[in-house]
Amino acid sequence: MVKLEYIKKQYPRTRRVHGNWYLSSYQYKFNVKRINQCLEHLRKGELVGLKCRSCNTVSFPPRLICPKCLKMPDQWVHLRETATVATFSGTYAKESGDTEPRPYPVVAIRQDGADTSWLANLPEGYDFFKVYVGMPLKIKWAEDKKGDFSDIEYYEPIEDPSIEMNKKEETEN
Amino acid sequence: MEKVGIVGYYQVKPETDIQMSRPEMIFYAARGALNYAGLKRDDLTTVISATNDYYDGKTISNCFTVDAGGAYLKDESKVEMDGAHAVNYGLMRCLSGHHKLALVWGASQPSTFYYSCIRVLENDPTFDRPINLLNDHTAAALGMRAYMNKFGVSVEDIAKVGVKNHKNAAKNSLAWNEAQLPEITVVDVIYSEMLSDPVTKLMHAMPCDGATALILAPEELAKKIIDDPVWITGVGLCQETYYLGDRDLSISISMEKSAQKAYKMAGIEDPKKEIDVVELFEHSAYEELILAEALGLCEKGKGASLSSEINGEIPINPSGGAIGAFTPCATGVTRLVEAVKQIRGEAKGYQVKDANRAIAHGQIGFCAQNNIVFILEGGKK
Amino acid sequence: MGVQPVIVSAGFSEHASKRSDVNMAELMNEAIEDALNKCNCTIDDIDCIINGNMAAFEGANIPELWMTDHIGAKNKPFLRVTTGGTTGGSVAIAAYYAVASGLYDTVLATAFEQQSCGSTTVGLSSVALGEVSIYLQLGYDYEKLRRNMGAGAAIGVGAYQAVNYMSRSHCTEEDLARVIVQNRHNAAKNWWTHLKMPNLTIEQVLDTPYISYPLRFGMVTPASDGSCAMIYTTEENAKKFTDTPVYVNGVASVSNETAIVTSEAGGVGQLDPCEQLGAKISAKLAYEQAGISFPEKEIDYAEVYSPFPNQELMWLERLGLFEENTAHIQYREGITATDGDLPVNCSGGVNSTNAIGASALERVAEAALQIMGKAGNQSPKEIHTAIGHGWGGALNLITLSVLADQPRRKYKGGI
Repeated sequence: MVKLEYIKKQYPRTRRVHGNWYLSSYQYKFNVKRINQCLEHLRKGELVGLKCRSCNTVSFPPRLICPKCLKMPDQWVHLRETATVATFSGTYAKESGDTEPRPYPVVAIRQDGADTSWLANLPEGYDFFKVYVGMPLKIKWAEDKKGDFSDIEYYEPIEDPSIEMNKKEETEN
Repeated sequence: MEKVGIVGYYQVKPETDIQMSRPEMIFYAARGALNYAGLKRDDLTTVISATNDYYDGKTISNCFTVDAGGAYLKDESKVEMDGAHAVNYGLMRCLSGHHKLALVWGASQPSTFYYSCIRVLENDPTFDRPINLLNDHTAAALGMRAYMNKFGVSVEDIAKVGVKNHKNAAKNSLAWNEAQLPEITVVDVIYSEMLSDPVTKLMHAMPCDGATALILAPEELAKKIIDDPVWITGVGLCQETYYLGDRDLSISISMEKSAQKAYKMAGIEDPKKEIDVVELFEHSAYEELILAEALGLCEKGKGASLSSEINGEIPINPSGGAIGAFTPCATGVTRLVEAVKQIRGEAKGYQVKDANRAIAHGQIGFCAQNNIVFILEGGKK
Repeated sequence: MGVQPVIVSAGFSEHASKRSDVNMAELMNEAIEDALNKCNCTIDDIDCIINGNMAAFEGANIPELWMTDHIGAKNKPFLRVTTGGTTGGSVAIAAYYAVASGLYDTVLATAFEQQSCGSTTVGLSSVALGEVSIYLQLGYDYEKLRRNMGAGAAIGVGAYQAVNYMSRSHCTEEDLARVIVQNRHNAAKNWWTHLKMPNLTIEQVLDTPYISYPLRFGMVTPASDGSCAMIYTTEENAKKFTDTPVYVNGVASVSNETAIVTSEAGGVGQLDPCEQLGAKISAKLAYEQAGISFPEKEIDYAEVYSPFPNQELMWLERLGLFEENTAHIQYREGITATDGDLPVNCSGGVNSTNAIGASALERVAEAALQIMGKAGNQSPKEIHTAIGHGWGGALNLITLSVLADQPRRKYKGGI
């Protein structure tokens, strides 16, 4: 690994005192009333989002509060099974079987019909360098559904006709 | 100072273990205040929150409350002290002329963490923390003992404050259920669970979940929004030194300085006569006496003989005070809101007659290290 | 109507990865003394003190309470303002309002961070710990979540932004490295900075391994210990303290909703993390207040908060200094160098020195010093108007101060 040199200055050490702070002792609360309806639909293999009546923003996973209107959205709407990549990144990690750290794709996905994105998964071992912003995906349901987010096993990339168009444009230019 | 009016407020009822998530609780407070004033969220120009990273178990505790607190694409900031300090910042923003409407809220959920453990983290990390003796209970005990010794005040006198505040809380529907004790006696208070001698559980403010919000508006605008808004005419803020050994715990220098500044700003010369009702944030019962003395409502050491019942000479904490409901970070805002209710005549069940000028107070630190005093006025006289 | 606030002085402590010779209070004291010494002012002239840091990084809650005596806050009004990465910027804005409101005359704004005495990882991981726990409760696979959230920490958040920015502007990794080289070279000329690298080259940066695509080890910000202090006062008082007052003509801190995760694990409304609506609105408000109609022409100097190189490019565009998606071309031309047309981050920026709580205040402080002509790495160009910017939270908090060497020209008031 290359080390970048910089001008360092040494400071004399002082005595140190140990102190703890208890991060693990918090018990966060969250509202289940809202999310349970969504999970019930997931068990049936359906996708639903919450729609704010005043600004028509649809959120998936459902949000408790609409920030624009400061209201609680309460209208459930059905969503399509397709989605697109809103943004992505890759973590360089060494998982079991890797000799070198390799990039694992991390993607934020926007469900078609919703206006929000969430962190979801691509198929295990999907090549990071094939991911791009706007990549179309389709949901892959789990075999036996438990009524939680694990029912969405992963999002499967599907054929993207717009990519060919972009290539054509580039060659024409 | 130009006048700034309070045009809306809302309190979420404090509970031991509230059945709401944190954003939900904040949402109800913010929405309630807007509804009271009859405003849309878009009318707001700035939002100031009072939360604490440690109380919420979140680094940057205001970053996930932007949506719930009504700050989406609004000028937003956070004061990591008591809610009353956040009101001060909101006031500064209104007075600068840049902002028209400021929403200020404070919220915390002590049911999600161990309040006393977190208070230890406020200690000096190199001396007090390793010794692990100073926490909110022992600090209160040291202060109470110092006060009792210096002025020869008995435990009964201080327990009476607890009795008064618990009885007042019983009349206030928005006080904490567990603090609403209409039948309480001095004996009950003295023989309740010992926290740290001589402080017992019923003379100490015990933390509970809750959120409070209020809306500030400059004079012209406030008159348009509601009839008879309550005006903030004076504010004083002061912090004294931390080390308990360096301080005289039987008096409160910072409160005296804050009060002097606030009185001067509001043009008050004789607080005893001119103030109708006082809302104090007392961490422990004895603090109410010290703070009342520092406010100039009575002589030093004579706080216990002050007639501070709801129908007394100078009613102190008719709402039950912090002993009635202590929601960390929100208590200071609640004190302002309770004072506003008294002035507007909306305090059902614990209304002080003809209240027109009130003091609201917020504090932070052990033994009231940092105090802030607001003078609130109605338009009746 | 509000009073015009003026900056009369700004001071720093030395920054390093481990300032093991001082504790938090002493670190603060260094910057305060530097600020007081630079102008004709003593601690008795200060009417109010506003301070901030990121409490979770040192493991001390509201440390100002026990620091009272060390920072000269005894028997004085004191306010603590913290908003994560933008803490410094929020402190600067709070000091602005304290003076503008007429409540206080001379205000000391301070911010510090001593990351070496706490755990930055613990501090950062607890930003979204609640949300992560909710995801787990809802049946999200732990292994996958760990990997996803590993990218969701500060560096990963930067990576998301970088990917979107690169796909929009077609800038290359070499362009990102160029930004780093400029910053680290600048830092070497400034006395208080942390990563002084006078001989760094683009190739060296591109030689380091990836942490999170497209950000490499050599491109990310260090964790520093350090503090910064500034003195705000009224126009009248400023004459006593200094000959070179800097007028604060506009401030804004507009917050957007969070990116990547939201409260209670709901859907994220900020689809494109490099769009930065909050920054655009902040810029509009602050420029309006300052009477700036053509930021690209009227602003002479910019200090932007950029822990990652892509952010520096992005902020300059979002704050209206360059045309969208062209900032990297300006860097190739050398326009942003110390002796260029629009010098940017002559202090070395957050990329070279990052005492998180203090970073955003240092941006305002450096901008002010450049106008005064007293900066460590002074630009040869005459600077009349400068901006100091801050960024924080989960890509959602922004602070912006617009400074100038003359009072604001016209301002009608209200937003």
